[in-house]
Amino acid sequence: MSVFFNTCEVFLESGFVFSLIAMGYYLSYTILDFPDLTVEGTFLSGAVVYGLLLHHGVSPWFALLAAFLVGFLFGTLTGVLNVKLKIRPLLCGILVSTMLITVNLVAVTAGIAGDFKGETSSMITIGRAMETLMEVFPASLLPDKVSGIGLRNVVVFFVLAILLKLLLDLFLKTKCGLLLRASGDNAQFVVTQAKDAGNSKILGLAIGNAYAAVSGALYTEISGSVNQSMGIGMVVIGLASLIIGLSVFSRVHFMKATTKVIIGAIIYQACLTVAQKLGMPSAYNKLIMAFIFTIALIFSEYKKHGKHRAKHRERKESSHD
Amino acid sequence: MIELRNITKIYNPGEITEMTLFHDFSLTVEDGEFLSIVGSNGSGKTSMLNIICGSIPIEKGEIIINGKNIAGTPEFRRYTNIGRVYQNPSMGTCPSLTITENMALADNKGGKFGLSMGVNKKRIAYYREMLSTLGLGLEDKMDIRAGSLSGGQRQAMALLMTTMTPIDFLILDEHTAALDPKTAELIMQLTDKIVREKKITAMMVTHNLRYAVEYGNRVIMMHGGNVVFDRKGTEKAATSVQDLLGLFNEISIECGN
Repeated sequence: MSVFFNTCEVFLESGFVFSLIAMGYYLSYTILDFPDLTVEGTFLSGAVVYGLLLHHGVSPWFALLAAFLVGFLFGTLTGVLNVKLKIRPLLCGILVSTMLITVNLVAVTAGIAGDFKGETSSMITIGRAMETLMEVFPASLLPDKVSGIGLRNVVVFFVLAILLKLLLDLFLKTKCGLLLRASGDNAQFVVTQAKDAGNSKILGLAIGNAYAAVSGALYTEISGSVNQSMGIGMVVIGLASLIIGLSVFSRVHFMKATTKVIIGAIIYQACLTVAQKLGMPSAYNKLIMAFIFTIALIFSEYKKHGKHRAKHRERKESSHD
Repeated sequence: MIELRNITKIYNPGEITEMTLFHDFSLTVEDGEFLSIVGSNGSGKTSMLNIICGSIPIEKGEIIINGKNIAGTPEFRRYTNIGRVYQNPSMGTCPSLTITENMALADNKGGKFGLSMGVNKKRIAYYREMLSTLGLGLEDKMDIRAGSLSGGQRQAMALLMTTMTPIDFLILDEHTAALDPKTAELIMQLTDKIVREKKITAMMVTHNLRYAVEYGNRVIMMHGGNVVFDRKGTEKAATSVQDLLGLFNEISIECGN
């Protein structure tokens, strides 16, 4: 029984944390149709900023906010490269995330040692000496474990995921959010509304990456450290969670897309965790990730084509009468 | 007033396929005119509309709207006082937004798109009333997505939305061409009603010669980047479909068709 709860704890924690990347992708990929690779870099940047600020004794809540802002900034950069300088979406993501490899490495070294003299240190340990999110108000009010099962992390990540989900839902209903949705839907329409659709796109990418950065920051609470390779695979995690969530619940209309995305992230993490608990060595992690994503893609494509075929048949039949 | 002065438009300049569409082209559209533009394919009708709206660049010339040269103004800014309805009905609305959300967006044209709520609840009754004037039953399904509406319904909505906020000019780019005859007639009547009521200066490209004759107070025919026929007022009222068709045939013979 405790193995079961323990497994649940593991995938719920990571599910809620990674659901933030997926929500970001809901904005950039689903709404704006922009396959944003910047996330691999901004996820790590969020973690780096958070880790460094914690290392220097800054309040975790403030550090989280700083991570958000840094993600927002680099997302804006990707958006500007695409909108103002007309560079293709995929290349913008590759350029910014490549650039961020150096930025993150330098930031960690300089942040820990105080200066940068070519000797790189790539790790930040989120140690016991620091006050993390779980040890400050209001998380500190919760018991860490209930009958041996970790509770605090799950609850804190759950509350944060729901909070950020509600904020995103609310934003999408504002005038600014409505215009952003319109930009993804029909950019020419936005132009005839005397608005520059490009600005909405930049904002969407900024928010998407801000969410990814917060996700990275929270992930350090699980992993206990910041290391330079933790951004790798985040594009797959984010997109897979998004696509699983949206395709599994494609016929459920009363549920908001952001809710579906959170559940998608949990399903995806559950699959990974179960595979690990069944004895799969952790070296196979990324392979399993790609494998589950492939299945999700095939599943959602198959659905789309199935629908298309039905429509085609309908048209054929009606042309006969 | 829209004034095109000495416009030169060259497609693919410097390439083998270089083609000069307009050379020193000028046209003036007075305030209150409802201008119908007819002409064969490639005669420059739609290019002219695109030049006015800034969708395509020009090599030379001035585009003067309300006394100001806007030739260097980016496209989106020009739409501040221009409304446009396209041939393709899906261009005028956002398919994944609901009817209400679409109307709210159009209602806010020229305003600030900040963090206040997108749909103002107090305005919904007004949207419903506006939709009910169409007689298409759209007022009863305001929460469905615009993408699930038919082409005619979408085009009617697009027309309504474009003219919701005060605009000086309405650009209609074959806006009935993708519709069935009955719906096209309905959209034309609606267009005429809105243009009259709101006293908008309108330019309409159409391939339907009957519409060009029946609606509006000025008609021009374009050919090879020039205006070859231009009638307004009582002269226009006396113009028949036969006159236009005759001219069309004459031009075709000249071209060797």
